[in-house]
Amino acid sequence: MSRAEEVVVQVSDVVKDFRPGLGVRRKRVLDGISFSVRRGEIFGFVGPNGAGKTTTLKILLGLIRPTAGTAAILGHGVRETAFRRHVGFLPENPYFYEYLTGREILHFYARLSGVPAEGRARRVDELLGRVSLQAAADARLRTYSKGMLQRIGIAQALVHDPQVIFLDEPMSGLDPIGRKEIRDLILQLHAEGKTIFMNTHILSDVEMLCDRVAIIVKGHIRYEGPIEDFLGGEERQCDVTLANLPPELADSFDGRFGAPRSGRGQNLEFRVPEKHAGEMIRIALDAGAELRSLTPHRVSLETIFLSAVEQEAREAAREGRG
Amino acid sequence: MSSLLRIQTIAVNTVREAVRSKVLYVLLFFALVLIGTGVLLSTLSYVERERILQDVGLAAVRLFGAAIAIFVGVGLVHKEVDRRTIFTVLSKPVSRSEFLLGKFAGLVATLWLQVVVMAACFCLVSWLAGAPLGAGHAKALLLVAGELAVLCAVATLFSSFTTPTLASLFGAGFYLVGHLTRDLRELGSQSGSAAAEQATALLHRVLPDLEAFNLSIEAVHGLPIPAAEVWQPLLYGAFYSASLLLIASLVFERRDFR
Repeated sequence: MSRAEEVVVQVSDVVKDFRPGLGVRRKRVLDGISFSVRRGEIFGFVGPNGAGKTTTLKILLGLIRPTAGTAAILGHGVRETAFRRHVGFLPENPYFYEYLTGREILHFYARLSGVPAEGRARRVDELLGRVSLQAAADARLRTYSKGMLQRIGIAQALVHDPQVIFLDEPMSGLDPIGRKEIRDLILQLHAEGKTIFMNTHILSDVEMLCDRVAIIVKGHIRYEGPIEDFLGGEERQCDVTLANLPPELADSFDGRFGAPRSGRGQNLEFRVPEKHAGEMIRIALDAGAELRSLTPHRVSLETIFLSAVEQEAREAAREGRG
Repeated sequence: MSSLLRIQTIAVNTVREAVRSKVLYVLLFFALVLIGTGVLLSTLSYVERERILQDVGLAAVRLFGAAIAIFVGVGLVHKEVDRRTIFTVLSKPVSRSEFLLGKFAGLVATLWLQVVVMAACFCLVSWLAGAPLGAGHAKALLLVAGELAVLCAVATLFSSFTTPTLASLFGAGFYLVGHLTRDLRELGSQSGSAAAEQATALLHRVLPDLEAFNLSIEAVHGLPIPAAEVWQPLLYGAFYSASLLLIASLVFERRDFR
């Protein structure tokens, strides 16, 4: 097996039941899920809220015990602890000891992860630089903003130079600049050969970052593979806005390219299949029109989830499940 | 060896949290006030002023030590789960038992630090009032430290699976019953019923015998304290705490952190 195909995270038939309240009734959160993550890839674990993403992640990190099935990271069962020196974890909306400073908390996690004393201070400084927190390094965490906490969270996940990094909704609650910074960091880590497992429900992040995804809906894996293949069934479209377009040409676009028109007056907007967009724009420009905007129209994740949920319901009905 | 380092890291962090929180200083302030109040109370009496002063002082150290152990201890683990700080700690190569032991060790160290401060205040007040200080006082204070370690283990156990409110009720109950188990056994043996005698003897075995750690009377009255009365309770306390921590580890190991 080549290094690239080496499986680093393996989840097999994992079931998790919770017993809320007095524990009389059972609630199945994960229903026999299986998937695998290969070395060096960015793996997106995608699903709507309440699908079981965080539960799966917590099982992988040993915070929750599965009811049945097995999960392994780097060939070690997730109940072991020693191999965790190769694993980094950023929880969703991370919470840290707010009475510590940024530098103190990184030292704390570095010691717990077994980073040798001699290189520790240098490693901590390096990470504070990497997440741009040198200026706030000696301020208590209670004074940090949400974005700063997210960055210190990333720094603690990387402090021991892990091979596999688990991120739970890493962009959640960040502003556009913060999101871009985190995205760039993920791509850098990928370039360094790290394996990244990312829980998310934001499709644009998945499309931009992930090599492969698993889609989970109501505790079932609905798809595992490259994101393009999953979206392949859907024809990609673009929104094109044109000004000063001769009316007769505008009328012809629907029939010719399957591009319905919206808007009135000077600016007209067309939703055109991506494969015809180039030709349509060229004809329009030749006729003296101006191109005002060109936006790829993305299939929303909600649409995907909706179809997956419908499929789930159909299967449930067929199998006689509730 | 690295396991010890991890336990130590968590313990140091626990002490740091306590030292940087205000609650502890408030409790410590009242303890010092109470020790000082001994001076006032002793002036109400014409006889045995020094003994009253030292009685109140040692009682203050024991009671406030116990209160801090229970009220700081019960939130120890619960707060980590509630604030989700435990997620990142357990995602590192740290076992749940190491985490629990680290929290316990940190709590004990915090308590011992408090005992040192309170003992220093007690000695200062005694010295200013001209009350005698001797080895007996040191032994009594040593056993207070031992008793507090047992209480920390009790608090850690309850904190590992229940809410702070319930844990403080259990902890306070444990403390009170712990000081009554000897009387309970005595009562059983005098009842004349074999069943009652066996039941109270069993309770005496299972519940902690905290009265064994109380040398206040001997210290204040300058009575001789044999070495066995010091090392036996300490050894008993060590075994008792270890058993409680073992149970706490087993319970904690099975928990899901949702």
